[in-house]
Amino acid sequence: MDTVEVLQVDRKEAMLQPEALQLRTEGRDEQQERRLSESEDGNNPFSFTPQIIRLHKDHELFEDGDIHRHMYLQDLYISEAEDKPALSVSEFACHISGCSAVFSALEEYEHHYNALHRHVCCSCRRSLPSARLLDIHIQEWHDSLFTILAQKQDMYQCLVEGCGQTFRTNKHRKDHLIRIHKYPPDFRFDKTKKERGRETKRKEQKDAAMEVVDDVCESEGVCEVMCNSPSDEPEGGESMETHECEEKASAEDVLAAAQDTESTAPRKPQYSYRIPNTVCFGHGSVRGFRGRRGRRK
Amino acid sequence: MWRLNKVRHKAGQQGGNLDELRLKRRENERALRQARRDRQLVSKRLLLNEDEEQPDVSMDTAPGGHDIVSLLHKLQHSGTEKEAHLKALSKVLRDPSAQLTFIKHENSMHLLVGLLTGSNAQCRLQAVRCLHELSHSSHTNVAPACLPATPYLLTYLSGPSTKFTELCLYTLGNMCPDSDVVREKLLAQGIIPALASCIENQRHTLAVVEAAAFTLSQLLQARDAPEKIIPIVLKSTLPSHLLSVLTPDPQFGLAPAIECAWCLHYLICSTDDNKELLAQGALSQCSSLLVSLGGAVTEGNKEDGIELLIWPLLRCVGNILSSCPEEDLNAQLTDAHLPASLCALVQAYLHTLPALARETVWVLNNLTAHSTEFCSALLTLNLVPGLIQLLPFSQGINTMILRILANIAHKKKEFCVQLMQLGLLSALCATLKMADQEMVIQSLDILFMMTVSSPVVAEEFVRQDGLSLLEVLQYNGAAEMRQRSTYLLEKHLLSYQQHITVDNMPDP
Repeated sequence: MDTVEVLQVDRKEAMLQPEALQLRTEGRDEQQERRLSESEDGNNPFSFTPQIIRLHKDHELFEDGDIHRHMYLQDLYISEAEDKPALSVSEFACHISGCSAVFSALEEYEHHYNALHRHVCCSCRRSLPSARLLDIHIQEWHDSLFTILAQKQDMYQCLVEGCGQTFRTNKHRKDHLIRIHKYPPDFRFDKTKKERGRETKRKEQKDAAMEVVDDVCESEGVCEVMCNSPSDEPEGGESMETHECEEKASAEDVLAAAQDTESTAPRKPQYSYRIPNTVCFGHGSVRGFRGRRGRRK
Repeated sequence: MWRLNKVRHKAGQQGGNLDELRLKRRENERALRQARRDRQLVSKRLLLNEDEEQPDVSMDTAPGGHDIVSLLHKLQHSGTEKEAHLKALSKVLRDPSAQLTFIKHENSMHLLVGLLTGSNAQCRLQAVRCLHELSHSSHTNVAPACLPATPYLLTYLSGPSTKFTELCLYTLGNMCPDSDVVREKLLAQGIIPALASCIENQRHTLAVVEAAAFTLSQLLQARDAPEKIIPIVLKSTLPSHLLSVLTPDPQFGLAPAIECAWCLHYLICSTDDNKELLAQGALSQCSSLLVSLGGAVTEGNKEDGIELLIWPLLRCVGNILSSCPEEDLNAQLTDAHLPASLCALVQAYLHTLPALARETVWVLNNLTAHSTEFCSALLTLNLVPGLIQLLPFSQGINTMILRILANIAHKKKEFCVQLMQLGLLSALCATLKMADQEMVIQSLDILFMMTVSSPVVAEEFVRQDGLSLLEVLQYNGAAEMRQRSTYLLEKHLLSYQQHITVDNMPDP
C-alpha cells in the first residue's frame, strides 16, 4: 500500500513531500503498462504516483481546526465568523529566464507576455508589439535580400496597417509617418540600425556567435541561421570575422570562425539560464528564415 | 450546545463591549496558536452552577488567603453549616491565588476529601464543586495536589446522580493535562475502564456521555499518549462506545458527538494500523455521518458549531483510509455519496473556513489515490468542473486539487480524455503560469500523463498554444521544471509541432 507518513513542514504549500515509492506493477491497464515502460526510461523525470497522505496529530494542516476546537472548549466560540479569513489566490509569474515579473491576475500576465515576450526577433532579441511589426523588422534588419532589393525598389513599407505605401529609404518612410499619419518623430519601433550604436551591435554579434558554438550540437539548422544572418551594414572587418561561414558551413567551420575572433567563451551548460538567441518563443514569433529552414527545438 | 448560545447571547447584550470581546478573542486565539506550536495546547472546562450565567471571577468580597484559612477553620469545626461553608469555599476557589493558598495549607485536601466521601450528599456535591474549581486552575501544581481525591472521583463515575457525575468527570478531565504523574496515577487507578463503563451505562444521559468523552479526549492528547494510553484504550470497549454515540441526537445537540469524534480522531491519527477500528465500522460510520452533515450544510441547515463535528470526522476518514486495503474500500465505504458530499463541503466552507475546505480536499485525495471507482465517480457525478474552478486558490488547496486530478488521470486513458473534455488542459495552461513552483511541477506531471494517454489530448494541447508555455519553462531556474518540460517537448510533443509547422507556416 502506497502510504506516506508526513512530517511537519513549515510551509503549508510544501507540506507534501513524498518519499520515493514503488510504481504499482500489477496493472492490467494499458495506461499503466505504458507508463511502466516510460519509467524504465532512465531519463524520464516524471515521478508522480498517487498516494494516501497520513497526517499526524500535530501537523500544521490541522492547526486551524485545533484552534477552533479549543476556542470552543474555552467558551470563546462564536458562530458567525467576524473577520472572515482571507482566502488566498495564487499569483502568476513570468517564467522566462531573467524576467521576474509577478502578477495577481492571469490577464496581467498575458498582457505582459504579449507586450514583452511574444513578438521577439530571433536574431537581435528585440521585442516588437505586433506580428506585423516583427515581420517588417526582420525583413528590414536581417534580410540580406531586402537590402539588395531596397537599392533599386521601394521596399520600406508604411508601418500603418492598411496604408500600403512603400518608400525607397527609411527616412522617407519616417517623414511620411510624421507628416501623413502624425506619428511622433521618435517613434520607438522605427529606429534605424545606425542608431543602435556600433558597440552594442558588435557585442551582440559576438554573443550570438558564442551561443552558436554551444547550441550547434543540440539543434539543427542553427548554424545555417546564424551564418545566413545578413551582415548588417558592413563595418570594416567585424562582421566579416563573425559571419565568415557560408551558407552550408559545417559545425567545425563555425567553431573555427568563432575561435578566430577571440578566446572562446566557456562552454555553457546544457540548461543555461540564459536563453540562446536562436530559440524563440511564442506563437507567431517563429519568423522568416528559421521557420523555413530550421526545426523548432 | 455547550454554552454556544450563552456566549452569543452575552455578546448580543453587551453591544458596546463587542470590540473588547473581539480583542480578547483575538488575543486568546493568538495564545492558542503559540501554545500549539509549543505542543502545549491544553484547555479546561468549567461547569457553571445553575444560577451562573458566565464565569465571574470578580466577586463581591475580595478573596484572600485570610478567607481560605477562616473558611477551612469553620469547616473543621462547624457541625450543621458545612454545606454553606463549602459553597462559599467553592466560590472563593474561583480565584487563582486562593487556589494556591488552599493547596499550600496543610490538611486542606484531607479535609475536602473527607467531605467528599462523607455521608452528607449535599456536602459531597459541594466538595466536588470545590475540587472542580481547583482542577480548572492554570497552575500545573494544583492538579497533583488533588490526587488524593481521584480514587473516589473514579468510583463515583458509576453513581446515579447526573450533576455529580458530570462534575467528577470534568474535574478528572481538567486534571489530566497537567502532569505525567497525575496521568500515571489515574491510569493505575483504572480511569480507562471507568470511563468505558460510564459511557456504556449512561449512554442515554448525553450530558454524562459528553463529559466522559471530553475527559477521554484530554487523556488522548497527552504527549505520552501513543505509548501509554492509546494502546489501552484501543483494547477496551471505548472505541465501540464512541462509535455508537457518534450520531448526534437532534434534541440534545451536537456536543456529545463532537467529543466522541475528537476522541476518535486522536485515536486514529496516533496509530499506523487502524484495522481494529476499521473492523468496528469506523470508516463507514464516520463517512455516513459526513454525508448527512454535508447534506444538511448544503441545504442551508448550518447548525451552530456543526463544523466542530465535521472537522474531526474529516480527519478520521482521511487518516483511516490509509489502513484500508483497496479491495475492502467498497465494502467499508457503503455510502456512494461521499465524494459528492465532500465536494459540497468544500464549496460551502471555501470562503468562511478555508482550512476546513483544505482538509476536505485532502480527504478527497486519499479517497481517489488508489481507487478507480472513486475516480470514476468524480467524473460521472460531474464533480470535476467544480474542482477545476478551485485551482486559483492557494495555501494548499490548489496543490491538493491537482493531486486529485492527477489521481484520476493516472488511472485510465479514457479518464484523461474525459478530463480534457472538461477543460483541464486550458486550466493547466493557466496553472503552468503560476508563481508557485509546486503548482507548475504538478501541472507538468498531469500534462505528461494526459499527453501520453492519447494523441487527441496532445493535439489539443498544441492547438491551445501550450508548446510556448513549455518552451519558456525549458530555461527556468528550477531543474525539475526544465527537465520535465524538455522531456515532454522532445519526446512527445515534437511530432505534433510538425503538423502545426506545415499547416500554419506563412510563406516567406
